[in-house]
Amino acid sequence: MKSDNSSDKNGCSCTIGTAGSDRRSFLKGLSIAAAAGSAALATGCVPSVEAAAPEKMKLRWQEFFKDNYRLMTQEEKEATIARLERLAKLQDNLDIQMSSEPPIERVLYGYAFNISRCEGFMECVSACVRENNLDRKTNTQYIRIFEMEPGKLDPSTGDGRYYHKVPVENKFYMGTQCFHCENAPCTKACPIKATWMEPDGIVVVDYDWCIGCRYCQAACPYYGRRFNWGKPEIPKDEITTRQHYLGNRIRPKGKMEKCTFCIQRTRVGRLPACVEACPTGSRVFGNLLDPESEIRFVLKHKKVFRMKEELGTEPKFWYFID
Amino acid sequence: MQKILLMYACLFLGLAGVASKSGASETSFLDEIKDIQEKFDSRTVEKVRPVTRETVLAKDQYNGRPFRVLTRKNEINRFKCSNCHTDKAVTVNQGVELTHGSISLNHGREEQALSCIDCHHPEERDYLWDKKGEKIDFNHSYQLCGQCHFRQKRDWLGGAHGKRVANWAGERVIYNCASCHDPHSPRFKKRYPATYSPPLDR
Amino acid sequence: MRAVQERNLKTFFIDVIRWNLQGSYGFRIFRVILLIFMGLGVYAYSFQARYGLEVTGMNDIVSWGFYISNFTFLVGVAAAAVMLILPAYVFHDPDFHRVVIIGEGVAVGALIMCLTFILVDLGGPLQAWHLIPVIGIFNFPSSILAWDVLVLNGYLLLNALVPAYILYSHYRGRKADERKYRPFVFLSIFWAFSIHMVTAFLYQGLPARPFWNNPLLGPRFLASAFAAGPALITLVLAVIHSSTSYKIDRSVFNKLRLIIVISAIINLIMLFSEIFKEFYFPTHHSSSAVYLFFGMDGHTSLVPWIWTSVCVNLLATLVLAFNPGKNNPKVLLPACLFLFVAIWMEKGIGLIVPGLIPSPLGEVVDYLPTWVELFVTLGIFALGITVVTWLIRAALIIEQSYNPNAS
Repeated sequence: MKSDNSSDKNGCSCTIGTAGSDRRSFLKGLSIAAAAGSAALATGCVPSVEAAAPEKMKLRWQEFFKDNYRLMTQEEKEATIARLERLAKLQDNLDIQMSSEPPIERVLYGYAFNISRCEGFMECVSACVRENNLDRKTNTQYIRIFEMEPGKLDPSTGDGRYYHKVPVENKFYMGTQCFHCENAPCTKACPIKATWMEPDGIVVVDYDWCIGCRYCQAACPYYGRRFNWGKPEIPKDEITTRQHYLGNRIRPKGKMEKCTFCIQRTRVGRLPACVEACPTGSRVFGNLLDPESEIRFVLKHKKVFRMKEELGTEPKFWYFID
Repeated sequence: MQKILLMYACLFLGLAGVASKSGASETSFLDEIKDIQEKFDSRTVEKVRPVTRETVLAKDQYNGRPFRVLTRKNEINRFKCSNCHTDKAVTVNQGVELTHGSISLNHGREEQALSCIDCHHPEERDYLWDKKGEKIDFNHSYQLCGQCHFRQKRDWLGGAHGKRVANWAGERVIYNCASCHDPHSPRFKKRYPATYSPPLDR
Repeated sequence: MRAVQERNLKTFFIDVIRWNLQGSYGFRIFRVILLIFMGLGVYAYSFQARYGLEVTGMNDIVSWGFYISNFTFLVGVAAAAVMLILPAYVFHDPDFHRVVIIGEGVAVGALIMCLTFILVDLGGPLQAWHLIPVIGIFNFPSSILAWDVLVLNGYLLLNALVPAYILYSHYRGRKADERKYRPFVFLSIFWAFSIHMVTAFLYQGLPARPFWNNPLLGPRFLASAFAAGPALITLVLAVIHSSTSYKIDRSVFNKLRLIIVISAIINLIMLFSEIFKEFYFPTHHSSSAVYLFFGMDGHTSLVPWIWTSVCVNLLATLVLAFNPGKNNPKVLLPACLFLFVAIWMEKGIGLIVPGLIPSPLGEVVDYLPTWVELFVTLGIFALGITVVTWLIRAALIIEQSYNPNAS
């Protein structure tokens, strides 16, 4: 290439001198970016490189490439559960029993909330936080209780952040959580089907499949979903060790979570933690396909309504009055 | 230009096809549920751990289905009452405060306030009685409460009032009235909530 | 410049890189500044990668913030390339033919920024492979986000490959065969409208968010995109005209001004329609608009933002429409810049954040981006500008040295 001291009209200067400084500035910039990039990788994208025991890395590697839970065979499900239990032992020295309990046949869970009986004690909230291993640092709560003014049913008119002696005269209390809609807008919105409705009616999230785009959270009309903005922190002695893969296992950061009707309890015939904890018996839970169940009694004999029914989401959570 | 319009027409038809598949339908899943006739016996749920607390078979039934109720007698400190209350009058100094001093009777509004013997059988202290003079066992106190609170009793039989103990499946065991309501002062006391919801922005 | 006979695909890439590493002193400073911003962006992102999205200002109520706001706006800018392609290829305007490639470069840069914004907004970016069909699950056609992934990537391919083919042909001294790329150009015209409608449908299709769930959102997106995008392109063309030897005819600027004015007026009409709907008979569904324009429960952080945006938008539209100064660039170029910024404010933060406030249960919070979000955004903007600079510089060099009569 002929060296020409002046840059021609195309801005293409061919002198050796300027080419050298161009290369230098390029390399300087490149090294800044590379240093920052490797810093990012070291600190962030590869979690806890310090204590990289080979077994842990192998387990994490296998976990990374696994399939969506719904598409797994029974062996794959048991394998991933074994890996997760082992990882919990290795990383946090926790002994957990995870289950992959399948749905019970001919069961569709329904839930009813008695707004005449609720006195706002929030025992349900507290029990849910403990049972489902919710993050204590951000005080994540699946259940919200609103202190409402009689005459208005819209929770936007209520106070969700009260802390005084309850019940207050002339106020009633209403609770919300994920309503496990039959026609859920959230499951439709998920671009990778990381959330779906199980055959027994519970809307679940495969935490490891979720990419954290939060489209489902934007789609939910009831503020039912919570996102793990950071790594959840739970005091070790408060962790519930009986866990379900789709339920109360400890979620990684950057994943969506929500009420699962305590799938780890209901699939072995127990009541959800909120129902069991309620001191006033305002919560009713059962099998909608059983004509003799309590929930069917409520639907048949009580004046029931659902929140934002006009949206057509068909929630399986009713409110009723005595 | 025509090509662009043709492409738009195809896209519109495609989207219309997609849209017609999804969306809110006129029938609700509730209609399908109500048509189901076959019974579901929740005792077939295998993994249910049966309730270990003491229970008794209830004397009432809901829709012909029997259920069990938690016993009450084992919750009462000084049952049997007849240990002290015999035919003779009890002559312990300040006996009322020593044994029943913790009881504050606040049942019913001012004019209709209940007294002790409105529920407790005056002769047979191990039993309660109703206004017809029938003896009612402590374990079956719902028969007494249901006299006045018949609406709540009806709901309790069906499941809209009260709660099952621990399980939604398996044999139906429910709390009895006194499990939740102190029979002498049944109203829930005012208290602070168990927790609070913090502000949602940081 | 190497001889035409020596050129092939390998030298094409080498030359493109080489051209972009050379240049005047000012150009080098410009590149280094961009690199510094990109480095800062990566540094800020490292915090996010380590601690999660808690280092941003987002929370469970305002679950989408600055990143998605910028994504939404930039999809519009990308779609606006169609406003150059349409006159060039459908109406065969020779002046526009000269600048089409610049528009496509801007579109590619904007699209890369969009995809990067999505990537940094994800809570689990390492799991992004779950989106790929066959090895992951792709919820098409139910999820509009899946549609958006498809259309954005498709548009990126169209806008990258067609100009690449043309440029490569010119680089080799050959005339590009119009029969080969013309159908793709027409496809990209249709596709440009589609990418922005699909992005609008992301929000429009959520009945949970009454602020977004109205039929006007899609058309409004198109109107604001075709105002802001050509405004940006006008500025880019002005920069090119003044700092390089690639001269652009006045008529291009005049026609672009016309496009901008029509789109901006339509945008304002649609804004008025939305305001009427929200405030003539306010319902609970209007609470988002009330929060945005007037504040709610003492939370008023977005009120000055939106009023500034609307007033500047109006002012800039009027200036561009009435043209005081008779096409004086000193009047029109600042007007374009202000219009661009005003639409960025209104379509970015002024659309996404109020849609999420109040929460579906009526709770009002404020949102403020943190330093992490700001620096990552700056880094991504720097990335986009770098991409645009690289593409346009290479394109202009090739176009200027290409002699159509010599092949």
